Amino acid sequence: MSSTTTSNELVMGEVGRLEQVVDRRALAEVCRSFHDLFALPVRVFSAEGVLLADAHEEQAVCAYVNGLANGRAACTSVVDAVKRLEPDGGSVTHPCFTGAEYRVVPMVYQGRRIGRFVIGPYVPAEMKEVPRSLLVLDSRIDPEKSRGLLGQMPRVRADTLIRIEEHFSRILDLILFSGHRAFLTSQMHVASVRQSYRELAEKNDSLQEAYDRLKELDRLKSNFLATVSHELRTPLTSIIGYSDMLAAGIAGELVGEQKEFVETIRSKGDHLLALITSLLDLNKLEQGTVRVERERLDAKDMLRELQKTFAPAAAKKGIKLVVEVEPDVPPLWADPVRIRQVLFNLTENAIKFTPAGGTVRFVAREGIADPEGDGGGMGAVLLLTPRRALEIRIVDSGVGISEVEHARIFDAFYQVDGGSTREHGGTGLGLSIVKRLVEAHGGTIQVESEAGQGASFIVTIPEPEEP
Amino acid sequence: MQLDFKTRELTLKLVYYGPALSGKTTNLQAIHELVAPELRGRLMTLETKDDRTLFFDLLPLVLQAGRNLQVRIKLFTVPGQVIHNATRRLVLQGADGVAFIADSQRAETKANAAAFQNLRLNLVENGLDAAKMPLIIQFNKRDMPDIRSDAEIDLMAQRGREPVYKAVALRGQGVLESLVGLVTITLEALEAQHQLADKFGLRPEVLLGELQTRLGMKTEIGRIGRGGAR
Repeated sequence: MSSTTTSNELVMGEVGRLEQVVDRRALAEVCRSFHDLFALPVRVFSAEGVLLADAHEEQAVCAYVNGLANGRAACTSVVDAVKRLEPDGGSVTHPCFTGAEYRVVPMVYQGRRIGRFVIGPYVPAEMKEVPRSLLVLDSRIDPEKSRGLLGQMPRVRADTLIRIEEHFSRILDLILFSGHRAFLTSQMHVASVRQSYRELAEKNDSLQEAYDRLKELDRLKSNFLATVSHELRTPLTSIIGYSDMLAAGIAGELVGEQKEFVETIRSKGDHLLALITSLLDLNKLEQGTVRVERERLDAKDMLRELQKTFAPAAAKKGIKLVVEVEPDVPPLWADPVRIRQVLFNLTENAIKFTPAGGTVRFVAREGIADPEGDGGGMGAVLLLTPRRALEIRIVDSGVGISEVEHARIFDAFYQVDGGSTREHGGTGLGLSIVKRLVEAHGGTIQVESEAGQGASFIVTIPEPEEP
Repeated sequence: MQLDFKTRELTLKLVYYGPALSGKTTNLQAIHELVAPELRGRLMTLETKDDRTLFFDLLPLVLQAGRNLQVRIKLFTVPGQVIHNATRRLVLQGADGVAFIADSQRAETKANAAAFQNLRLNLVENGLDAAKMPLIIQFNKRDMPDIRSDAEIDLMAQRGREPVYKAVALRGQGVLESLVGLVTITLEALEAQHQLADKFGLRPEVLLGELQTRLGMKTEIGRIGRGGAR
């Protein structure tokens, strides 16, 4: 009735075959011990009639009878009958022509016959005379000798036999029960593991599928971005070029508002071009196709240049620019074009978010390179080599950034305050490009700030690794 | 269900389902205690150190239903803890009837509902029709403080279609009634589906009579109707 292929033994908690749940060797040991204790032969058969355990010694009377042809035939027929005997209700006694008996006891488990055991041959304690059936078997049989040999056979009283039989049944039942429990448990364990594995494998497959689809979408997005940016830039270059020429008066002198309008077209064109260039940059950085040519630069010179470049913009807002370089700072190992892009962007932001009368400081000092690789790993203290690094901080006295935003400000298109986009302008791409450029130098960028307390952007660029 | 025409033997599988610690194993233990030894086999349990069922419990009952016809009823419990879902699903395979053991304590209402949803899901996963599965619901632990009241359960029972029983399994109360109730509706369902009376000569009333007598239940349980709590 079940939809899967789980075995019937497991579904219904059945014992399929006796051999499945009972260890033959251990069963043989129990039978041997039984034989040693009661001096009674015992054999255990499965329901199919397979002999599973056997503990007996050949009786002298049997050897004597088997020495005669008639006796051998009669003995074989008795043994065969005993073997084939399947007791329907309870135990049954099967007689032998020697006067001995066999007791055949069914093994019932969970209401089902699962096997049987046979005790015997033994001589009933009540037997006094050598039975006629033995004497008539062959003329050569000696009654006196037979009496003597039968006397060597184990004797047992009927009520004692019932108690012995009951005792052995219980032992076998216990073995069966324990074996069955262990069998079911192991089967269930294996089936549960298999089931769990199958469920996990299915989930894994669907996750992998989703992941592959997303990766493909990401690739398509990058390609799309690259193509679109390129296609947008071409006509834009013409727009800027022609507005330039118009503004320069190449097509005739412009008057009054004409000049003002053309200047607006050109400046908005420049802005659009910068935006598209940023998008292309970001795309290249995401795809890892940007090459960084690092060379030895002087931090002090770099910061002074920065101060000079931004002096007019800062003066317009009444903002003070301060350069602080600690003595003996390490050199700045960076791509001059790219590091300028980083520092310009950060400075632009700092000035943008600092109110009139504020200060923007450029600080250079020795920092510690964040060791690459498995920081918390085993033996990190031995495996990681410390490297000198230059730390440049750009500190403003502006609106600041709350802690929850710290991790997100480096995401593309993210701006701390949606509203401030309008107020301050910008594309939301700057910091994500900055972060990727710094990382392309093997460096890190962090922000330290609290809302309303100003912000510090800390760029750490390590010295190149020893070749 | 298994039918063996050769040995004239019918085997039923009944599964005790429910949330963790609702008393599924306790139900089987109570049945084991209350039923005469010749009627039942050993109670097979597999527990962890803290008495939680790890795989399942199994208690076989063996009955003679008329002349020369043996009925074996195998009672299983599932592990209630959420993480053992794979095992629960396996134990549920081939079930002919389900006893859902709910915890009467108010605080367990959600756990009961979640376990019941899980039962339905696992029935479907096993390719069994949840709507057709013979099912009784037992509200156990009636002796605990802060339980859902009798009136409340009776009202809910009328809304539902499954027979509902109240029990204190730890003291054996309501356990046999739940079992007989489950066997009754299971036989009804099997009769409708497989015509056991015609094909096999199994008369449900004979089997139920035998079961009740052997369980020592003096009062006539009678036919179990749909809805309403007992």
